[in-house]
Amino acid sequence: MIDGIIQPHDTRGDLRLECDVVVVGSGAGGATAAAVLAEAGLRVIVLEEGGWYPTEEFSANIPEMLGKLMRGGASTVMVGRSPVPYLEGRCVGGTTVVNGGMCWRTPEKVLDTWVRERGLAHLAPKALEPHFDAVESAIDARYQDPGSEGGVNDRFKAGADALGWKLSRNKRNQRHCVGSNDCVTGCPTGAKRSTAESWLPRFYAAGGRLFTHFKVERVRTRQGRATGLAGTILDPVGARRFTVEARAVVLSCGAIQTPLLLQRNKLCKPCGHVGRHFTIHPNIKMAARFDTPVDSLRGTHQAWQCMEFGDEGILMAPGAIPLAFMSAIFPSFGPRLAERLRDYRYIATGGILVDDHAEGRIRALPFGVPYIRYDVTDVDQSKFVRAAALMAELYFAAGANEVYTPFHHLPVIGGPDDIAKLYAHPPRVEDTEYFTAHLMGTCRMSAHPRGGVVDPNGETWDVSGLYVADAGTMPGTIGVNPQVTIMALARLIAVRLADRLGRKVPAKIAQVAGHAAA
Amino acid sequence: MSSDFSFRGYTRRVARSVVDAMVPRWPELDADLTDAVLEQVEDFARNYPPFIRFGVMVMLYGLEFSGPFVRDGLRPTSFLDREAATRRLEKVADHRIPQIRMMVMLPKIMVSFSAYSRPEVEAFLGADRRAWRANRKAFREVLIQLDERRAADPPVPAPLVGDAVRPEDYLRFERT
Ligand SMILES: Cc1cc2nc3c(=O)[nH]c(=O)nc-3n(C[C@H](O)[C@H](O)[C@H](O)COP(=O)(O)OP(=O)(O)OC[C@H]3O[C@@H](n4cnc5c(N)ncnc54)[C@H](O)[C@@H]3O)c2cc1C
Ligand code: SF4
Repeated sequence: MIDGIIQPHDTRGDLRLECDVVVVGSGAGGATAAAVLAEAGLRVIVLEEGGWYPTEEFSANIPEMLGKLMRGGASTVMVGRSPVPYLEGRCVGGTTVVNGGMCWRTPEKVLDTWVRERGLAHLAPKALEPHFDAVESAIDARYQDPGSEGGVNDRFKAGADALGWKLSRNKRNQRHCVGSNDCVTGCPTGAKRSTAESWLPRFYAAGGRLFTHFKVERVRTRQGRATGLAGTILDPVGARRFTVEARAVVLSCGAIQTPLLLQRNKLCKPCGHVGRHFTIHPNIKMAARFDTPVDSLRGTHQAWQCMEFGDEGILMAPGAIPLAFMSAIFPSFGPRLAERLRDYRYIATGGILVDDHAEGRIRALPFGVPYIRYDVTDVDQSKFVRAAALMAELYFAAGANEVYTPFHHLPVIGGPDDIAKLYAHPPRVEDTEYFTAHLMGTCRMSAHPRGGVVDPNGETWDVSGLYVADAGTMPGTIGVNPQVTIMALARLIAVRLADRLGRKVPAKIAQVAGHAAA
Repeated sequence: MSSDFSFRGYTRRVARSVVDAMVPRWPELDADLTDAVLEQVEDFARNYPPFIRFGVMVMLYGLEFSGPFVRDGLRPTSFLDREAATRRLEKVADHRIPQIRMMVMLPKIMVSFSAYSRPEVEAFLGADRRAWRANRKAFREVLIQLDERRAADPPVPAPLVGDAVRPEDYLRFERT
């Protein structure tokens, strides 16, 4: 056993475990909740379907890493008017191992809406502030070391500055992110403070134990109360079974897997909200070619975001990605793509995220097949068209000579005068390539049993002792990167759960050993 | 968990022809990537859930028999020469009906991820990731050693580096 991590080869036969709280999933929500509960003195177990990979195992072999770290080897795609590929981490640390590390608090205006329109008074900005402070301190949400930004970020900033557009500096959960630009396949330098490097070491230190390759399939209930879990140990030598008995069960499998698990167990049906209200912050990728080298190999993934058009629900940002990922954002292949990527060193990449107003849906079909549907709306599409035009303007202002879009009928914008073509023949949803990394809202928190899946404490309205602490609980879309929101909500849920189980979370806020607290 | 999946028989021929039509080639780079990329594509598929693998098969066979959809005759794609196969798949990719375009989507991503993450391709295009990663790891070790001389970290959100490294040198570390 390494630290608190128990892998299949550490155990034999079928297993029966018992604890105070069992948490399913070790990503943003699960690891945070588990650490807080363990530090409150409860006996906590985390069950994680994926494996554990220490920093040394994050190799430069992209296909291999995608297979190890991502659900379905990164093949996941949701259906809709245009299919939207998405990624889910499946490893110790969950999606925080493969994410970009940007750290944003939930905007106050969003929290105010949750208070005003959804009656969730405990989510008021002031009430959540201690949770945000604790989270940011625990994960080292810091500004980049100056000079680590690199060409992709510099060009974006030059364009925004030239146009006088407001830029915000990203905080990222990192300690000396040295700009290796490999965030999506696991940080090879150990800089990124995924939950595997931040919350989970605290969890182990507080006596918590994490079991890898434990796939939870059943939530056990007795008389309307959750009593534990059961599932399969994905041991490469041969699958085995496990059961866990616990006083409380916390599901933190992410906004897609948690509703699927609930549906497969026919739980929480009466509320009617499981798997609904699915929001994804759909995004599109843009790129631009310059006359001088950008060298996107060098520099951090994303140092700034442009909030100038935030009121319209548009967020633009640079996004440095490895060559293999850059190859995937161009719709071509073979000789056409080879010619385009000859200029690799001169190309900068970026993305546009739209604060969506559509809601998708998740349903468990027979034979374990998930049905994930999201239709980008025409209203959101018109935002994308405007945002693509703005981003093209930004790149041309930075000196680009060509801009590449994800629109099939206008993949290249040859110069500033061509931007108008976007408005003249606006691309349809069906002719646009999207992507998403933010999956939210499918088990939303509500003040009333008819309004959502979990109550203000994170406990499901329909099954007592069953909690959800992941991106699914978000009561609505937030327009910024979600991991800090997810962690803050998970912390709030865990503090309240500890209290109910007769334990108090230590008063000091989230002090990381040897680091100054905020 | 990965399976022991591999392309077999006629399916292998179909998959190979799609890979062959999609891999990049440059006259200056003396490397035929087709078979190596085909193996990587198989590795990818091994990690896919069965229903996605089934979807990949459907797309590959869709491309094999896509001639009539793009007015390119009836010959299966794997019976065309490489240039003709590439031209046909480009027509599919440019098709005005999104459902037809979708046939190239996943195979294209699998081939591009595999081909453009190969060390020889990365080096050829000026993206020597392996060397850069080694450089960054070594540089970060230096920064960590500098940190150890400090009593406490600056509170979040301050950057950690202080003025120990000049910004213009940050991405230009040379190992001494
Ligand atoms: C490429 C990418 C970049 C991103 N960049 C950012 C960013 O810069 N900033 C930001 O704020 N957010 C970012 N995100 C989003 C953010 O990482 C996620 O929103 C967040 O991690 C979700 O947290 P979660 O707890 O809901 O789920 P996850 O972090 O996905 O964790 C869920 C865990 O549950 C496990 N699990 C699922 N089902 C089971 C089961 N049945 N049994 C056992 N275990 C199970 C999974 O294996 C996984 O480890 C990014 C996401 C991606 C994909
Ligand atoms: S850019 Fe590189 S060093 Fe920085 S967090 Fe990402 S992977 Fe780690």
